[in-house]
Amino acid sequence: MSLRQKYRRILSGIVPAGAAGVSLLLGTVAPSTAADHPAGLQPSAAGRAGVSERLAAIREAVSEVAEAEGEATHPSERDLHLAWGNWWNNWGWGRPGWGWPNWNNWRNWNNWNNWWRNW
Amino acid sequence: MPRIELLVVQPTPFCNIDCRYCYLPDRNSKTVVARETLSNLFSQVFASGWVGECLSVVWHAGEPMVVPIAFYRDAFEMIDRLRPANLTVTHSFQTNGTLIDEAWCTFFADQHVNLGVSIDGPPQFHDRNRLTRSGKGTFDRTIAGIRLLRQREVPFHVISVLSAASMAAPQEMFDFYVKEGIDQVCFNVEESEGDHVSRSFAEIGVEAAYYRFLREFWRLSAAAPGKISFIREIEHAIQQVIRPADAPFTNQLVEPFAITSVDWAGNISTFSPELLGLKNPAYDDFLLGNINRDTLVDLPLRPNFARMLADIRAGVEMCRERCEYFSVCGGGEPVNKLAENGSFASTETTYCRLTKMRATDLVLDALERAPPGGSCREAVSGAEVRG
Repeated sequence: MSLRQKYRRILSGIVPAGAAGVSLLLGTVAPSTAADHPAGLQPSAAGRAGVSERLAAIREAVSEVAEAEGEATHPSERDLHLAWGNWWNNWGWGRPGWGWPNWNNWRNWNNWNNWWRNW
Repeated sequence: MPRIELLVVQPTPFCNIDCRYCYLPDRNSKTVVARETLSNLFSQVFASGWVGECLSVVWHAGEPMVVPIAFYRDAFEMIDRLRPANLTVTHSFQTNGTLIDEAWCTFFADQHVNLGVSIDGPPQFHDRNRLTRSGKGTFDRTIAGIRLLRQREVPFHVISVLSAASMAAPQEMFDFYVKEGIDQVCFNVEESEGDHVSRSFAEIGVEAAYYRFLREFWRLSAAAPGKISFIREIEHAIQQVIRPADAPFTNQLVEPFAITSVDWAGNISTFSPELLGLKNPAYDDFLLGNINRDTLVDLPLRPNFARMLADIRAGVEMCRERCEYFSVCGGGEPVNKLAENGSFASTETTYCRLTKMRATDLVLDALERAPPGGSCREAVSGAEVRG
């Protein structure tokens, strides 16, 4: 199974929970105390793919899952942005003025309020 | 054309407390920004064509609440009068919380101010670093302010600077926030910036300690849904990792004027807000001009801007070529590169390793452990999932 397929299987189970749900769901399976050494410190230690490779596979899988979710919600809508459906909307990616390019990533201040309202 | 997304305005450099880790060089000065300076600033910003539909204004770089409420009421009214009709301006304060009273609560609520309060956890952690000028802890005053905000139902989040001691105590930190009804939290680790050299950054094992802290705090929060609703480091990492392949992503800290910083005297800088006020002959102290004397749209023509931009871009390209985490970061934080590596044209910093790499690792590790196809959801079916 390719990395993308692996992540697609995982993400298809959690993406429908929405942004807040993803955090809660992943928090329940976060590594336990045995994993004191982050995987990223040893990207190839156990034959594991590198971080950038995994990130790319995850994003391809997100696009596929989001598109599939959107098609299920809006079967007649072919526009990709609309097809991302609730996932897109919940995370604010589709709103003008918000989403990635406008996300304030200065650590001492965050538009947490706007972010929060988007959930 | 630049696009200003965040305008950091220093109403005063003065702070009524004296934290051990503060990087602000002029925090004893009680000067206040002039009304004319604010008028010049916002007139030029709004006329520049550099603003989109939304502009965030953060009143920071000193304690904003040492300036009277009447100052802000007047300033907000003026900004609203100058503002183009199609532009939304949001105001934000980052405060130490020690001066919060009923009048401030009313002001925050009336003006819909986004409020961040700095508190480093329970007193045994907070009072180690957040001190008055006479060296006394400020916890009691800060928590009194937070309790009043909660009583008056004024929304806020907290930023907590983690020390080695608090990083080793995720349960204590979690219990503190829950006890005080604080449900939106952000964590910083004491950094090396400007003249301040971090003790925490120098400690061996800080990365693993930070990873363990975030992991345990996240697990505690997930195990008790509804208590902590927002952990900035986790939410940001999830956003950056789990996104569509073609979702655009930029790092504001390396985009010219995306973050524009203005000090009380009208001096302007960009990129990392912390650069404003630092001394550096190679870049003319990072000052691009003064809003009372210069024209905003001419500032990109300044030679020191060109030097800053060239070196920052060189650093971003080095990150792009060498760093596995580039797609979640976009080229790092210039002020940390300069403080830790001695040059903008450099790559990895401890700041990167903590705030980007270890948080990303945590989300990746959680994804690796998530069962496929929905059984992860079933595992927490008894929990309230807000979404």
